[in-house]
Amino acid sequence: MIKFENISKLYKPDTVALNKINLDIGSSEFVSIVGQSGTGKTTLIRLLIAEERPSEGRIIVGGWDITNIKDREIPFLRRQIGVVFQDFKLLPKKTVFENIAFALQTCGEPIKKIYKVVPQVIKIVGLEGKDHRYPYQLSGGEQQRVVIGRSLIHKPKLLVADEPTGNLDSINTREIIDLLKKINELGTTVMLVTHDRDVVNSLKKRVVTIDEGQIIGDQSKGRYVL
Amino acid sequence: MFIGLLRIIKFAFQSLMRNVWLSIVTVVIIILALFSTTFLMMFNLMTEHTLSVVESKTDVYIDLTKDATREQAEVLTDELGQLAAISQAEFITPEQTLENFRNRHQDNDLILESLEALEDNPFRGSIRLNVNRIEDFPVILSELSKTEYAQFLEVEDREFTDAKLLIEGISEYSEKIQRAGLIISLIFVVISILVVLNTIQVGIYTHKEEIGIMRLVGASSSFIRSPFLIEATVYSLLAVIILVIIIYPLLGFIQPYVDGFFKEYSANLTVLVNQNFLKIFGLQLLGAVVITVISSFIAVRRYVKV
Repeated sequence: MIKFENISKLYKPDTVALNKINLDIGSSEFVSIVGQSGTGKTTLIRLLIAEERPSEGRIIVGGWDITNIKDREIPFLRRQIGVVFQDFKLLPKKTVFENIAFALQTCGEPIKKIYKVVPQVIKIVGLEGKDHRYPYQLSGGEQQRVVIGRSLIHKPKLLVADEPTGNLDSINTREIIDLLKKINELGTTVMLVTHDRDVVNSLKKRVVTIDEGQIIGDQSKGRYVL
Repeated sequence: MFIGLLRIIKFAFQSLMRNVWLSIVTVVIIILALFSTTFLMMFNLMTEHTLSVVESKTDVYIDLTKDATREQAEVLTDELGQLAAISQAEFITPEQTLENFRNRHQDNDLILESLEALEDNPFRGSIRLNVNRIEDFPVILSELSKTEYAQFLEVEDREFTDAKLLIEGISEYSEKIQRAGLIISLIFVVISILVVLNTIQVGIYTHKEEIGIMRLVGASSSFIRSPFLIEATVYSLLAVIILVIIIYPLLGFIQPYVDGFFKEYSANLTVLVNQNFLKIFGLQLLGAVVITVISSFIAVRRYVKV
């Protein structure tokens, strides 16, 4: 599903964010990428969604070499990868329905399909009856659910979550992680970037540990060891 | 394609309404910028109008010689009236000249008594010429100096020279005013462009995060950019419409002051604006759209690269 081959990312003048990363993530896998702050976890995500280009190496997503992806191709890549961030990144002037629908509207999907799919997704993420609320009218957990809903709308094969529970309390954290597990069980590859020890340990899934831009551990049913 | 276009238009209006205060501020700034350029354009039109009135009111009188009969004078007047450089030629009879002279000096008893003392009408007929452009004076002068006219007309260069000097004097002042107006206009236009440009950029800066999110969910650059460009066009259109609505009552308000200043050379401002409606508002709409759309394009492009 995803292949990082000898990936390095250097920032001028002499910062090495990632150093010769080799990582292979299969279909329907649930992988936690762990490590302390500033170790390169988010850089890995940014390379994956083509927000940045690697200094060295190759990145392949679903058989597509995106190492030197053209600017005009980026929207198509991003429609295939669902992305969830810690700071939600919702459009504040759009309602729950509009935020989720927006991802479909940008691709020119017909209204009929939007009105069929969006309520289904709202139901999956447990926000029924709140579709006309604006983000500021929702709790942190609910906002994150909207983001997850939006990231699922294209039925992506890969969902990337970068510290999705960083701004949430323990109850909301549990609910969001359960939602991610549910999504994974439905066949979507989930790449969870976190430094939340409890979350990682409770998952009992594959754990890739990064430190100072290098992979220092990769266990199939791992624990947070740092 | 069609759905995409409809959505772009929908998003543009949605953003305009949901950021209503920002939209109002932007439109007001554009209106203020257009206000200054409108008044400068009107000032230039008014100066042009005054100059043309002065030119049209400047007549040159050519005296007829003793030898010229009334019939010859009338034929001559017709011929002169057909010259391209002359807008109107009128034969003034000796009787009319005497009457005009009396009317002009009706308060001066000495002159009137002297006139009564004369047995005959001391005035001969003359031809009043109304010239289209002062630049044509030399052409007319050389035309009148031709031998076929020479025996009937007493052409004095001074007549033309005085009139020419008068108009040239006014023209010179007018050109100076217009030049100063142009410089002030340019300064105003530059300031207006900078203000509008900054307002649009600040407006788009507030959408910076939104643009980033649009990119994140896979919106193409054109899909992100287009609503902002439409929004900018709508701002300009609204500003010009409001300007038109405001300007007419304002013209009525300032008309008496303009009349008082320009006196008989004044013009009806409403008529002047109506006659130049497209020139004034069409150009401004075009200018406003170009400036706002370009500044939106530049500002969005900066954030689209997130």
